[in-house]
Amino acid sequence: MKQRIWVILISVFIVSLVAALTMGRYAIGIPDICGMVLDRVGLTGFLPSPSGEMSMVFWNVRIPRVIMAFAVGAGISVAGVVFQAIFRNPLASPDILGVSGGAAFGAALSIVFLTEASLGIQGFAFGFGILAVVITYFLAARSRDTSASVLVISGIVVWALSQSGLSLLEYLADPYDQLAKIMFWTMGSFQTSTWAKVAATLPIIIVGTLLLAVFSWRLNIMTQDERQILSLGVNVRKWRIIYITLSTLIVASAVSTVGDIKWVGLIMPHIARYLVGTEHKRLVPVSVFLGGSFMLLMDTLARTATTSEIPISILTSIVGAPFLGFLVLSRKGGVSKNDA
Amino acid sequence: MTLEVSGLDAGYGKRTVLHNIDLRVSEGRICGLLGHNGSGKTTLMNCINMLITPDRGRVTVMGKEISGLDRGQIAQLISVVPQSSFTAFDFSVLDMVLMGSAARMKAWTSPSRKEIKQAQKVLDELGISALSKAAYTRLSGGQQQMVLLSRALYQNTPVMLLDEPNAHLDFCSQHAMMQHIKKVVKLRGVTALVSLHDPNLALYYCDDVMMLKHGRVVVKGPAPSVMTETNLRQALGENISIESTIDGLPVIVPRNLGKCPPETQIGDEEALLGAV
Repeated sequence: MKQRIWVILISVFIVSLVAALTMGRYAIGIPDICGMVLDRVGLTGFLPSPSGEMSMVFWNVRIPRVIMAFAVGAGISVAGVVFQAIFRNPLASPDILGVSGGAAFGAALSIVFLTEASLGIQGFAFGFGILAVVITYFLAARSRDTSASVLVISGIVVWALSQSGLSLLEYLADPYDQLAKIMFWTMGSFQTSTWAKVAATLPIIIVGTLLLAVFSWRLNIMTQDERQILSLGVNVRKWRIIYITLSTLIVASAVSTVGDIKWVGLIMPHIARYLVGTEHKRLVPVSVFLGGSFMLLMDTLARTATTSEIPISILTSIVGAPFLGFLVLSRKGGVSKNDA
Repeated sequence: MTLEVSGLDAGYGKRTVLHNIDLRVSEGRICGLLGHNGSGKTTLMNCINMLITPDRGRVTVMGKEISGLDRGQIAQLISVVPQSSFTAFDFSVLDMVLMGSAARMKAWTSPSRKEIKQAQKVLDELGISALSKAAYTRLSGGQQQMVLLSRALYQNTPVMLLDEPNAHLDFCSQHAMMQHIKKVVKLRGVTALVSLHDPNLALYYCDDVMMLKHGRVVVKGPAPSVMTETNLRQALGENISIESTIDGLPVIVPRNLGKCPPETQIGDEEALLGAV
């Protein structure tokens, strides 16, 4: 059963990858891709060399975009798994502590008052995303109640404040230029993916995801009641901080680069759980492949479905929400998937 | 002495709930904690497990003082069976039991094949190995309690705290649960502290009994000698008597059903916990 699921996952990944690499406004055939790859590794003459223009599009536009889409999808999915576990709530999503709201505010602040340069917006979005979670944490820490629900309430407060700030910035923005940029940013897109952005984003997502994969078994225990977690020998506060820090870095890094990505962090963990059960040692790697492949497919659809590019969050919501509903309604009880 | 509590005072905020508690339980014995709601049973268990820091006094397990240990070290000495366990996710019974190995494992590791075999052995010991692949959330209350008991056993500690393990169980399951607890305690030489509401369960299954009232010890000692009408009336209420079945089995019963003395009002302890 486990092998069958991995065969399906890897097949879906390969199909998504091939679709993402070949499809788009500039169609690139599989033989051309093979030719360009062989050229790059110094094996010329086996296949006809594609044109310089195609090679430029492939290496400087398509590849960074594909890497970014997979990394962002994988990272946000894993962060979703972690947040659902530590908040013991299957409806928790990675922006529950205000990271996306803070990032959107930071991006808008940069667009309206500081810089419209892509890396500048990314830097501000990342900084404010992290700041939002830090404020959430310290707000919750002032409460005498140490339960995770206080963190959630603090997250809602910070999210609401950042939304108000965002609305104010939208009101102040130049309606012909800045407002459109803010709106487009909040709907998310991989259109501006470059190697520079990949270099700024990928290390954080890779390191964060690897560390979460390494500590994934302990997430099983984090789903238990707080007193039981302590009785099982796990310092709940320390590990909650570790998991929140790693997940927040991943999400802040992702959304600051490509804008707000809705639904992925909520639905991918559910689909992964549906496939392999709740045991986190299995759930985390499956979420990586599932989230990455899903985002590759959505991005391919975003740039091929119509003549102009569709913002990614519109597609992830259209596909994600009904699919989650289908999973919930078709679910049958009985034996846990964990040992299937 | 495996578990030793001496001169323990504890409370919530300014309100002291436990007053000068002394308790000694040796290896392979079950000590029952009796007392009405709000008498301090759960607070005492939380102090022993260091979930609450006592205001005064000390707790030692196998000669080691608990207050100086970290969570991992405490969990290698003390395991807990709660009243119930809510989990939002469909873990298998085996995965629930395997969580009991957290204290002896590094953060970056997961249970080995050997650990999994040991967990299955524990399930087998309690006769629930057939449930190992079942989803914990879909089990009956009695089966869930057996899984929590298995997890505590798998944690493999010299002391086990059981906080009203029968609270949500039907009549027969309550006795089945106590029989299982007695069997594993004797077999493994564990020291168990069990808080109970039904004094009959203490009478039938506990070696020692400690009765609490308003956070003070009323009486403690071997069950047959302290489970007297006088002591029970002092700790639990005036309307208690010990009758006898036709087989000669003692049964503790309330004399005036429907009349409860003021001290047995429900919710004292919950109110205190809410005030923390």
